[in-house]
Amino acid sequence: MDGARMWHVSEPLGVIHSDLCPFSADIISTVEFNYSGELLATGDKGGRVVIFQHEQESKNRPHLRGEYNVYSTFQSHEPEFDYLKSLEIEEKINKIRWLPQQNAAHFLLSTNDKTIKLWKISERDKRAEGYNLKDEDGRLRDPFRITSLRVPVLMPMDLMVEASPRRIFANAHTYHINSISVNSDHETYLSADDLRINLWHLEITDRSFNIVDIKPANMEELTEVITAAECHPHQCNVFVYSSSKGTIRLCDMRAAALCDRHSKFFEEPEDPSSRSFFSEIISSISDVKFSHSGRYMMTRDYLSVKVWDLNMENRPVETYQVHEYLRSKLCSLYENDCIFDKFECCWNGSDSAIMTGSYNNFFRMFDRNTRRDITLEASRESSKPRATLKPRKVSTGGKRKKDEISVDSLDFNKKILHTAWHPKDNVIAVAATNNLYIFQDKIN
Amino acid sequence: MIMKGQKRKHPPEDVEVSDPSSPTWESQRQFVFSVSLNKYQRGQELPEPSLRRSVLIANTLRQVSHEACRVPSVDMEVPQPLCSSSSELQESTFTGVEAKHHSAVMLSNSHSALVSCPVVSLNNLSNCATSRSPATCHLSASNVPLSVKDEDEDWGSMSTDSDFSLSAAISSILTALDSTIDGSPQAAPRTPLRSLENLSGPSDGGVAWGKQAVRGNGGSWEQQEELRVPESSVEVMRSSYLSEVTVEDLFQDIDTSLLERDMGVLGLRGSGGGYQAGDDLLRYLQPFSSSFPPSNPFSLSLNHNLKCLPSFSSFCPLSSSSSSSPAFLSPNLVREGLELEHLMEILVES
Repeated sequence: MDGARMWHVSEPLGVIHSDLCPFSADIISTVEFNYSGELLATGDKGGRVVIFQHEQESKNRPHLRGEYNVYSTFQSHEPEFDYLKSLEIEEKINKIRWLPQQNAAHFLLSTNDKTIKLWKISERDKRAEGYNLKDEDGRLRDPFRITSLRVPVLMPMDLMVEASPRRIFANAHTYHINSISVNSDHETYLSADDLRINLWHLEITDRSFNIVDIKPANMEELTEVITAAECHPHQCNVFVYSSSKGTIRLCDMRAAALCDRHSKFFEEPEDPSSRSFFSEIISSISDVKFSHSGRYMMTRDYLSVKVWDLNMENRPVETYQVHEYLRSKLCSLYENDCIFDKFECCWNGSDSAIMTGSYNNFFRMFDRNTRRDITLEASRESSKPRATLKPRKVSTGGKRKKDEISVDSLDFNKKILHTAWHPKDNVIAVAATNNLYIFQDKIN
Repeated sequence: MIMKGQKRKHPPEDVEVSDPSSPTWESQRQFVFSVSLNKYQRGQELPEPSLRRSVLIANTLRQVSHEACRVPSVDMEVPQPLCSSSSELQESTFTGVEAKHHSAVMLSNSHSALVSCPVVSLNNLSNCATSRSPATCHLSASNVPLSVKDEDEDWGSMSTDSDFSLSAAISSILTALDSTIDGSPQAAPRTPLRSLENLSGPSDGGVAWGKQAVRGNGGSWEQQEELRVPESSVEVMRSSYLSEVTVEDLFQDIDTSLLERDMGVLGLRGSGGGYQAGDDLLRYLQPFSSSFPPSNPFSLSLNHNLKCLPSFSSFCPLSSSSSSSPAFLSPNLVREGLELEHLMEILVES
């Protein structure tokens, strides 16, 4: 990042989730800003959704943007038991996606492995008082005591934020849902599991269209699964889905009802010199995101982030190495299962920078214009309020400089899988296991 | 680098070796192979294996075995610790099993035969890999000396067979995954018994087994449209097997020591051993272990495996003993031999 921009911890606490929430700290499984950036939603392993709201700038601290405080908390999904298959369905929230705001209320979609729910989050700050038939505490008034009629008056009350489930989209996925994406028409959305993608209408819960089905007739022939899917931000007929083999398929829903045949196929030819037993596993794409402009898309595989031009299928236009020093450790990472970790990635509002997570609570940001990158750490120790984050470095050579950390000292239990970037400002949210960090850049 | 609570193993050099001719390549390949098998099995024991993970591990297994076939001139005598002994074990048991099953494979071209035989070997390999006992390795190597000797000569043919059968095995794993996923009556990867199941209590036995397994394992996957497929494959298995293979042929071909280990795998699969015929078979198979040399560490490990399985250990007299002395085994041998005859009749009749 350029020198003028330095990242620091948002007031009052960088660490929010686990400290302010009265519930037990649970592992955060998804983070998402809404379209305006005013609200930040997190989902966790316990099926809860916590929404933070951006407070207005305070007058006595004008050099900082406002803080993010808890706005609403609700239990989105409960654990379920599938009696037919003798299985428990996890309540963990896999993804949250906001709908564009159309009225005073906010709507979001949250999903676990099997069921998608549409939640309405609305505010109530007024209460009607002066009912004729009942008292203020709700008891019915004695009819004989009513001698005159009055019109109830709206009185202000303490702000109450209510979340209510408006739609439940269930029983459409045999396999585990890994992605949901709201379409630009604001009427439909898609949901993807390991082998199928369904298209829903937000108003209709009892059926959905299956638009992609890669399940082979003979499961013996299964060698590839769907890992992520997203709708194009502007073209409501276009969507992409990524696979475990490192390929991305772009599909046009106008071409056919069933989009098994792609319109574009993105794959980078393998470099034969770097081939290993784990080549396929590390090529598996864990996240795909369109740029805000709709001209590019970004994919995250185990070791790198790639930016693709939608007009060029044979290779990405940019490749950023996230933690190349892990390439020589793939054997151990395979053994301890870290190689299967699914990292997400995100664009900033202007598509000039991208961000993704790594191990040891490190996360990386790449500036596409200057080609500079920075590694930062999200931890309590290094994130005192108003502190400026210090760039971190992993030493790859034999000699370890001061302040560098060696590869073998990295903590592979501390992984940053979920990050989000404010759609307009330079505010980022980073989920480190059960802690949420919000950072913003210093305005000089 | 190692997660808390995990036992530290000795991985080969971490430097990624892409050149097959380098000495560390083979050890790394074997390491990846054994780890992959281990992972796959442990994943399958979970009530809900992740499909993405299973597919990636299966693809890695396929690739690793393919790489092995690409480099046939493997030096089996490489003096490295566990890796080489396990590799020798794998190759020798693999080819040993292959030799024994070759006739079975030739006899029937049915899908099930191709599936069952290699899966036997795959399960054997997995058991060997997971047991990680040098004694076990040695035994099995000595158990099939002929195949080891022949191994160099036959490597050319074996390699293609092994590649083909291993990928068939992996395919069968995925089928099994599908069956547990879809809740179909198709049998899970306990396919080593599949040939015997078809003969003993044909579709009923096989289907019942599959159903029980499914109930135990389950999967989050739907079952409706998938029921058609397994029924037809059961049909195929039944028809071709019964017409072309006799029970005696099969029993002669099968190396029961390896099958016994597979019974251990079966028990682990979590269906609780509710299959009656399976228990009978285990009793029937037990006497064969007594034919091994007395100081047989393998039967120790076998008994240990059996002890871990509550369902089987309650049935098997041998499992309750921790010694494997020949004096203990031989009195049972006669008794078991008689039971064996009795069982053979039952199986042939049905």
